[in-house]
Amino acid sequence: MNLQKYILRRTIEIIVTLFIIISLLFILFRLAPGDPTSMIIDPEMTPEDIEHFRDAFGLNDSLWVQYVKYIFNIFRGEFGNSFHYDEPVIGIIWDKLLNTILLFTTATLLAAFAGITWGKYIAWKRGTWLEATITFTGLLLHTIFLPWFALLAIWIFGFKLNWFPLNGMMTPEVWLNPDTGIFRKVLDIIHHMMLPLFVLFTVDFARSMLVMKSSMLDTLREDYIVTAKAKGLKDRIIRNKHAARNAMLPVVTSVSLSIAFSINGSAITETVFSWPGLGRELVFAVSNNDYPLAQASFLLISALVLVANLISDILYAYLDPRIKY
Amino acid sequence: MHPEETKKKTLKEHLKYRYHSRKKKLLFTLKGFHANWLIFKKNKMGLFGLGLLICFGLMALASFILPLIDPMYHPMTGVDPMIFSSKGPSLTHWLGTDSLGRDILSQLLVGARVAFMIGVSAAFMTVTIGTTVGLLAGYFGKTVDFLLMRFADIILVLPDLLVIIILAAVIGGGKLSIWNIVIVISLLGWAGTARVVRSQTLSLKQRPYVDAAKISGSSEFGIIHRHIVPNIIPLSLLYMTFRVTSAILVEAALSFLGFGDTSTVSWGMMLQWCWKTGHMFKAPYWLLPPGISISLITLSFYLIGRAMEEIVNPRLRER
Amino acid sequence: MKKKILEIKNLHVQYKTSKGNVQAIKNVTFDIEKGESIGLVGESGCGKTTIAMAILGLLPSNGEVTEGQIIFNGEDLLTKTEEEMRQLRWLKISMIFQAAMNALNPVIRIEDQILEAILTHTPMSTEDAKARVKELYQMVGIDPTRAQDYPHEYSGGMKQRAIIAMALACNPDLIIADEPTTALDVLVRDQIISEVVKLQEELHMTMIYISHDISVIVETCNMIGVLYAGTLVEYAPTAELISNPLHPYTKGLLASYPSIKGEIKKLDPIPGEPPPLINPPPGCRFHPRNPGKEKICTEKEPILRLINDRHYVACHLV
Repeated sequence: MNLQKYILRRTIEIIVTLFIIISLLFILFRLAPGDPTSMIIDPEMTPEDIEHFRDAFGLNDSLWVQYVKYIFNIFRGEFGNSFHYDEPVIGIIWDKLLNTILLFTTATLLAAFAGITWGKYIAWKRGTWLEATITFTGLLLHTIFLPWFALLAIWIFGFKLNWFPLNGMMTPEVWLNPDTGIFRKVLDIIHHMMLPLFVLFTVDFARSMLVMKSSMLDTLREDYIVTAKAKGLKDRIIRNKHAARNAMLPVVTSVSLSIAFSINGSAITETVFSWPGLGRELVFAVSNNDYPLAQASFLLISALVLVANLISDILYAYLDPRIKY
Repeated sequence: MHPEETKKKTLKEHLKYRYHSRKKKLLFTLKGFHANWLIFKKNKMGLFGLGLLICFGLMALASFILPLIDPMYHPMTGVDPMIFSSKGPSLTHWLGTDSLGRDILSQLLVGARVAFMIGVSAAFMTVTIGTTVGLLAGYFGKTVDFLLMRFADIILVLPDLLVIIILAAVIGGGKLSIWNIVIVISLLGWAGTARVVRSQTLSLKQRPYVDAAKISGSSEFGIIHRHIVPNIIPLSLLYMTFRVTSAILVEAALSFLGFGDTSTVSWGMMLQWCWKTGHMFKAPYWLLPPGISISLITLSFYLIGRAMEEIVNPRLRER
Repeated sequence: MKKKILEIKNLHVQYKTSKGNVQAIKNVTFDIEKGESIGLVGESGCGKTTIAMAILGLLPSNGEVTEGQIIFNGEDLLTKTEEEMRQLRWLKISMIFQAAMNALNPVIRIEDQILEAILTHTPMSTEDAKARVKELYQMVGIDPTRAQDYPHEYSGGMKQRAIIAMALACNPDLIIADEPTTALDVLVRDQIISEVVKLQEELHMTMIYISHDISVIVETCNMIGVLYAGTLVEYAPTAELISNPLHPYTKGLLASYPSIKGEIKKLDPIPGEPPPLINPPPGCRFHPRNPGKEKICTEKEPILRLINDRHYVACHLV
């Protein structure tokens, strides 16, 4: 019951935040140096199109009317036409959103699980050579520069060893061939996803593992662990049911706090690997001064970040009974 | 005694008192530093991080010297009369040259200088803004607190790199100058510090000596200045170490993606050039040094930050 | 002669720290018969909890028993393997922790935590175990419908009762209560103490009651052991100890408690502080604080001697 109320409250908060971000974007683009119309209207468009967009975005009207039309347009899915693709933006970014969600969610979830499992293990093995080595490796992977790590991954696993394709999400031959079945197509995507997934996963995993280890060491000193031992419970049960269950809470929090950072990483990874996602689209759009596409990509990424935050907050509330909604 | 003389005498005594009390405070602070240094020294990883940092500092200093030896070593304009493309390490070019024949080592050294410049200035600005916001929010509470913290929440949630990229679209037409980058990084990075400073302020506000000061008639500003700020400073300094890395990484990523300042040589820029000129697979002497440098400077600040956390939070020591 | 549940003989426990070895417990010897409750009283840091941990085999990794025997129901616990100890814990010897500590796992329902103890050590079915939990709750005076709550939903007094209920779950032969009423407010403390006394009478529990508060011990125990700086300085039946304290520390301890009925006097604290256990003073550990000490006190350690009917003292001056 309380959990539902909490979810509702957080959802409303997110909608408000999204609204504020949309408004800030509006201000940003209208106040930008230069002619604001150039942000929406590609001089190469046909006069009919130009007139259509002038009207749709209220460029002939006052600022307030523009604002209202702007909000209205967003909810209609009207982002204008991409300068570069010469197509409605909404159609372009929708697929990219799914691709980004695929990569980002898989990497984050895998990293969290692996981080919790490994962190728990090496905390128990504290003081051994194994623990020292893994911690040190974790430190290196945690601090490695992501774009460079991506380049190294492509170089070693793609170029030198030729295990994985160097970029993209699909192999044209596989997908254009009418005879290939669904299974083969899915396998192809997975094959392309391996390297970018590896890159995103590794850095995220290292962080989660270090947090979990630290958290486990703190938890193992708690009084309720002494109680559990006094009850004559097996070590494995103490470690998992009593210690880890508490220790993983800070990991969930750290995932929540790192979502912005992870999305940055996701955008970089998509760009380096030419994975057709929102991050790459944003980078590409900004490089080409394709304002409608850039704006819409950014907006959608922000929405994604907010939803991800919401989900992890709800997860935390579910896991920690002490949270007062 | 003559009133004039008493006034003079007390002024002199007052100044002497001020001098001695300030000297005592300074010695006390120095003793504090020394005590903290002893704690820091015990953390081997922290010392290693500090060592790395000093190496990078030396690199930054060396960057001034190298072009003086021979103009061919200038990172942007240096041209070797013999080399016009990317070649591997040699006696004249210890790390080889880039695709325009420029010396990679000198670029690396200047990159260190630029990293420090960006990191320290951005961190300083960020922490100043963050501490001020946190102090105001924590001390004055109610509406001020609510508004500031809601604002901070929004900033915290947004991915800073992508915000800067979209700003680049609007302001710079796709590229940003180095100082614009520093300013924007600071404007986006203060939220975490603000939150933490606010918590600390809130708990300090409850302390009895603040009530005592209020009762004895201190002004609000006086209370903040004398009681709260000194207890916030260690926290702010700690957060500065985090922000330095953050700033360096954001600039590096921006430059890498092509939104950086093309007239500045930074490590991220070096990676961009290597990547975009297609030398990624061909020139490890070009690909590896900047990437290793960024990673190691991040590592060094991380280790130093962790060691400093042990000073601020004694619970973490000797675990 | 009643059966001896626990016999501790010449127990020595030390902790290895970065600053040296701490002699936490030195030469402690006492017995407990079935149905008795003995109170261990002493200042913070005098080693009371160490004894409890040593009995259960739960000393931290830097602690070890260097000498002595802990004989429980005829067997020396120090010779047992970890697996044997694990089977013994809670089933034969259980512990009541301080509720103010984090003794209950905050993310697990209390019922589950008690069930866990029962199901690990007895072959009961889950339904029977749940019925047992309800029974225990009624015994200690908590509403059985609250069993499914989390620890943070309980008040301090309720938590303490729940911890008591958990300790009774497997009907152990011996219960060690470690400062169960500290940090509770006075009214609740009184309730808990009456509860404990009631349970003792009904169930004939054998208990070790650890506290720094001698007034609580006097109400609940029939034998009292006074610990100072890791050594047992006096051990006697309660009535005997109060009316006839022999060790100067015991006398000081009793004198530092105001009587609610007696005349208003100035409190008489014992001057000084307990000694650091890394480098304890030579001879009797209490001598630096004893104004009436003699030369032999600074040289030779006193040994626990029987003075009269079950009254032992370790003092040269007696």
